[in-house]
Amino acid sequence: MTKLFQSLGDWLDDRAGVRKLIHDSLYEPIPGGARWRYVWGSTLVMAFMTQLITGVFLWMAYSPSTQTAWESVFYIQYEMNGGWLLRGIHHFMAQAMVVLLAIHFLQVVWDGAYRAPRELNFILGLVLMLIVLGLALTGYLLPWDQKGYWATSVGTNLASQAPVIGPDVKKLAVGGSEYGHQTLTRFFALHAGVLPGALMAFLVLHIALFRRHGLHARKPDPTKDAMFWPDQVLKDSIAALAVLTVVLLLTIYFGGAELTAPADPANPYDAARPEWYFLFLFQFLKWFPGELEVWGAFIIPGLIMAVLFLMPWIGRTRTGHLINIAMLFLLLGGAAALTAQAIHEDYFAAWNSKEEILKADDPVLAARYEASERFLNAKAEAHREADRVIELAESPERIPPTGALSLMYDDPLLQGPRLFAQNCASCHNYVDPSKPAEEQPHAIVNAAPTAPNLFGVGSEAWAAGILNPEKIASAHYFGYEGSPFVEGDMVSYVTESLGADVDDEQRAKAKEAFAKVAEALEAEAALPTAPKTNEERQNRIAEGRELIAGGLSEMLESGMSCTDCHKFHDAGDLGTAPDLTGYMSREWLLAFVRNPAGERFYGDNNDRMPAFGPHDNPQLNQLDDKSLGLIVDWLRGDWVRVSEPVE
Amino acid sequence: MSDQRDLSPRPSTSILGRPVENRRSFFAITAAVVTGSIAVLTPIGVGIAAFLTPLFRKSKSPEVRIALLDQVPDDGMPRYFPVVADREDAWTRYPAQRVGAVYLIRNAGEEKPTAFTAKCPHAGCFIGYTPGAKVFQCPCHTSAFKLNGERLNGDAEVAPRGMDTLPVSIRQAKTGDGTEIAEVWVEFIDFQTGHKEKIPTA
Repeated sequence: MTKLFQSLGDWLDDRAGVRKLIHDSLYEPIPGGARWRYVWGSTLVMAFMTQLITGVFLWMAYSPSTQTAWESVFYIQYEMNGGWLLRGIHHFMAQAMVVLLAIHFLQVVWDGAYRAPRELNFILGLVLMLIVLGLALTGYLLPWDQKGYWATSVGTNLASQAPVIGPDVKKLAVGGSEYGHQTLTRFFALHAGVLPGALMAFLVLHIALFRRHGLHARKPDPTKDAMFWPDQVLKDSIAALAVLTVVLLLTIYFGGAELTAPADPANPYDAARPEWYFLFLFQFLKWFPGELEVWGAFIIPGLIMAVLFLMPWIGRTRTGHLINIAMLFLLLGGAAALTAQAIHEDYFAAWNSKEEILKADDPVLAARYEASERFLNAKAEAHREADRVIELAESPERIPPTGALSLMYDDPLLQGPRLFAQNCASCHNYVDPSKPAEEQPHAIVNAAPTAPNLFGVGSEAWAAGILNPEKIASAHYFGYEGSPFVEGDMVSYVTESLGADVDDEQRAKAKEAFAKVAEALEAEAALPTAPKTNEERQNRIAEGRELIAGGLSEMLESGMSCTDCHKFHDAGDLGTAPDLTGYMSREWLLAFVRNPAGERFYGDNNDRMPAFGPHDNPQLNQLDDKSLGLIVDWLRGDWVRVSEPVE
Repeated sequence: MSDQRDLSPRPSTSILGRPVENRRSFFAITAAVVTGSIAVLTPIGVGIAAFLTPLFRKSKSPEVRIALLDQVPDDGMPRYFPVVADREDAWTRYPAQRVGAVYLIRNAGEEKPTAFTAKCPHAGCFIGYTPGAKVFQCPCHTSAFKLNGERLNGDAEVAPRGMDTLPVSIRQAKTGDGTEIAEVWVEFIDFQTGHKEKIPTA
């Protein structure tokens, strides 16, 4: 066997000279012997190899277009075997690379390893650093999620401000005047083709020159001189393994890389921030108001880069070298300070109490608090959105051919609150009255409502509230500011039926009857969240229906039942009060919101609710049919439920 | 790695001791460079031509119906409306997409509302507005604008100019029963960010 290998080796060596090649690459003399401080360059090569390997496997599953980018990353992250691990390693190794680059760079400058004859190699190293940063920048956009989309679009907008060529450069990078398919294809070609190709080419030159000049050792001890193989290789491998371990731990700790909601050009992400290692640039820009921005975005960073490129020449003298080191620490310190400032500003609201800020009565602090609050809210909202889209995409419904964005646009749970806030919340509340509003993150609160609270509309509890003398006269129902109904027939009917003048026995009877009415009304609404019916409940509902349709008049002292004012199926007439047939069902609510002043609803008694869709031509309506449907479905709790059981 | 290679110039005028004519070698060199360059540059040129496509595409600003005039009472408060228009992205046409957002404000007695695009003139983020507030605020670099679109802190603001106004027109539409209804239309122009002047991107 060994003989076979021997002869195969000979054959290869004859034709390709492999033995010399291997010998040359392994037997690099290391003055002073192997040391831990020489590992940084090798760990960078290992990190790049990791990116190359994980990147190619990601490539096999990734599809760059606006309808498939997020979708394919979702598939990698949530459906492929260990896809989250693959993407997580790629994500965190990219960040490790930035850190390793900084260490490698710092060490080269500190050791003065840029001095002749190594100037050219130092410059190659800087070029490599720029390529790595370019890879980081282009990679951030590829998942096409809200975070990457909005952060990168801020970046390309800045690029368009570069003097003269800016707008054209932006157009070429983005592939048009707006973000779209061509942005993804271009960024992907840069990320997976052009930049890695360039990186490999420059890396070959960098290593070749490094070998040509030899390792730059400080105070080498000639008695300890050794070869690269195996001592230094062992140290390099251990360091590489340590880096990988850190990356794996980070990946596992964070459950892989984050995937926020699909990019939505119409729905800005208020928490758009670049990756942490670019955060200092983001913060730096805040210092340059108006047209001075060119200084913050191009001139000063450009000058700093120029100085970095000139370091080998500045560092020719001892003073120059010290200046270089001082400059580098100044830059790193500045970047660290700016990063800290950016984080402090963003999380200001989380780290300070609102009362104290308000007490300070400082408009600057108050504005900072507000901005931070918006950032944190946007982040929380984006998380909620992402969880929901991912839940929908994982459900048997899957993602439609139009992409995950249409999943979002068609989901009442996501769109309902937004549309409600825009169109309904200036009058209505959406708050669970049984709990304090502060405990309800999804409540939509209007402190001075001029219409009923719509939380749980159509449910038994909601209907029971109308039939409760305290509740119906409260701001949650008809007791809102300026309500014409608070002294209307409905309120007096309920108050009289259960009021102080009624004896206890009669009140108990009426209460029991109203409870059945509420159940019957809930059955009319046919909410998807209604409890499962059983025979007992069916009977109560049937009794409730009879009570509505006239039965109440026999048991109440007023001698009136619902159908004396309302229509309910075949009983009663339209014209005085809203129809109770199919009360708060989807069809009923849609027709109501379209035109509450219609004969079927409030008619002339309509308070101030606008007609949101009275016209057949949707162009003339305030709300289009789809938005109306989304609001109604959301109010009725009618959305796809996947993980949570129906309550 | 200090092996001194032989860097003396190779004898270019003789091969295996056979002298080569200088004139012939000049033609050969020229021909080699020219043909080689054509062979390499042609695909590069074709590639670059395709790559530059976006520079030759002009986009039109659509005229968009934003709202009914009734939806913008003349109380001087900004109201947020999505801008819905057909959008083309390379090979895909999206009918009726939200392509942006505007704030409409009508001051007391004004016939026509003013329209501000929600895109921040600083870096293109979406400017936010909390109903009841006295300023617009951009979430990215904390630019703030007064309700008339001017920068809150003038030149000390990171935004280089005030919020961009868009041309507004009022059009009359007929309802089913023949009554007229006033609609607000806006020419939705996209402006370059970061400059003192309003320059359309198209």
